[in-house]
Amino acid sequence: MTATIGFGHTALPERQARAVRRAVRLEWITIGALVGIVGLVFLVLGNSQAMKAAWIEDLLSFIPPLAFLIAVRLARRPPTARHPYGHHRSVAVGHLVAAVALTAMGAFLIVDSGIGLVTADHPTIGTVNLFGVTIWLGWLMVAVMAVTAVPPVILGHMKLGLARELHDKVLYADADMNKADWMTSVGTIVGVLGIGVGLWWMDAAAALFIAVSILHDGVSNVRAAVVDLVDGRATTFDDTQPHPLAGRVDQYLAGLPWVAEAGSRVRDEGHVFHVEAFVVPRKKRLSLKEVERAREECIALDWKLQDVVIVPVSALPGVLEASGRQ
Amino acid sequence: MIGHRFAAVVVAASTLLLAGCGIQIPADPSGTLNAVEGGVLRVGVTPNGDWVRVGENDPSGTEVESLIGFARSLDADVQWTVGSEESLVRGLEEGQLDVVAGGLTDQTPWTNKAGMTRPYAEATRADGSTVKLVMLVPLGENAFVSALETYLTDEAAHEGAAP
Repeated sequence: MTATIGFGHTALPERQARAVRRAVRLEWITIGALVGIVGLVFLVLGNSQAMKAAWIEDLLSFIPPLAFLIAVRLARRPPTARHPYGHHRSVAVGHLVAAVALTAMGAFLIVDSGIGLVTADHPTIGTVNLFGVTIWLGWLMVAVMAVTAVPPVILGHMKLGLARELHDKVLYADADMNKADWMTSVGTIVGVLGIGVGLWWMDAAAALFIAVSILHDGVSNVRAAVVDLVDGRATTFDDTQPHPLAGRVDQYLAGLPWVAEAGSRVRDEGHVFHVEAFVVPRKKRLSLKEVERAREECIALDWKLQDVVIVPVSALPGVLEASGRQ
Repeated sequence: MIGHRFAAVVVAASTLLLAGCGIQIPADPSGTLNAVEGGVLRVGVTPNGDWVRVGENDPSGTEVESLIGFARSLDADVQWTVGSEESLVRGLEEGQLDVVAGGLTDQTPWTNKAGMTRPYAEATRADGSTVKLVMLVPLGENAFVSALETYLTDEAAHEGAAP
């Protein structure tokens, strides 16, 4: 348990290592909670389309935690001759797989629920006999949905902070979905109560609402995963802004006495960044020692900077925004 | 946390609201139960074993007896229609029948076109396998199906208790 946790060839600082351990534990708890939720919801599924949509969403919720657990395991492997960049991209691959599954299922459910709405399927929900008492199954559905709404929301909030700490987009996507899970539950409850008061279409409408939210999650995650896989500019864990580390590397390099200008390309490999830093030296002759020291200092700036390549050039490549000194 | 509280409020508020307005839950979109109460229960039957027998007179059999009892509990008369399963299911779809019986089991293929009650009893077939008996009702008439299920369950419990 106290063994050093690493991402590739960097050992994580204690703070991040603890975050990884917590995240792994939380994801196992999530999987455990999901097993319970999926089983409970299945027992009261009935003929409600909204319940079916909610159940499928619960089933899909298994993918992000599993992707995270697998990715964390793979990312620990050190780089080898066959995988010189390490295995960090496994995070992005897991992210993409999860996102595609969400998108496909969301689209399917929209069609499925839309058909039910158009053909005016009146969902039949009868009674159940529980310990000799006959009650309407709809009440059980409402109860189950109310109970199962709670744990994912709590887990989602706990995971969100860790996702920021670890710069883990799969964990972020998972936390974000968990956090919004209560909307599915409330939607389902509204749909079932709609059936209860004789408004048959509320069920299909609620299912449609859930399906749209699944599709929305899927599409936004596909976009984020693809941007990372095609080496878009590195962004923060929630994709809201460019990641500040690129600027810090440029600033540090440009501040060195032998450097006239510096600009870098940063690839988000998953948890860690690989940096190609271009520098324009002041003089024609360079000291190898200075370049190597600059490289080590860059890597030391942050645990996320795993690999930094420093390339001396006579002029910066066009796409880079130089942060040079006058 | 917010989700939890919000969900609880929604559930509590809707429950109070619905109960307060005197709305019945579950309700029938097409008002089957209201129409049957004090009126006529339109039953479709198809002959099958001891459950439903048809002849010159009114149908007889265990399921027929149950449905007569159910109609009596709703203060309703019974109007019988004898036919094939397909024609009876169409009758349910078109709103000309309220319930269909005929030794149907929970493996019935008609569930896209008709609602199915919860199994109310088990029976043993000639080959020794057990089947679960159900009846068919119009899709989505949830107050009616709940009333029927409750009656059939109570009846089964009474028979079970009898010596």
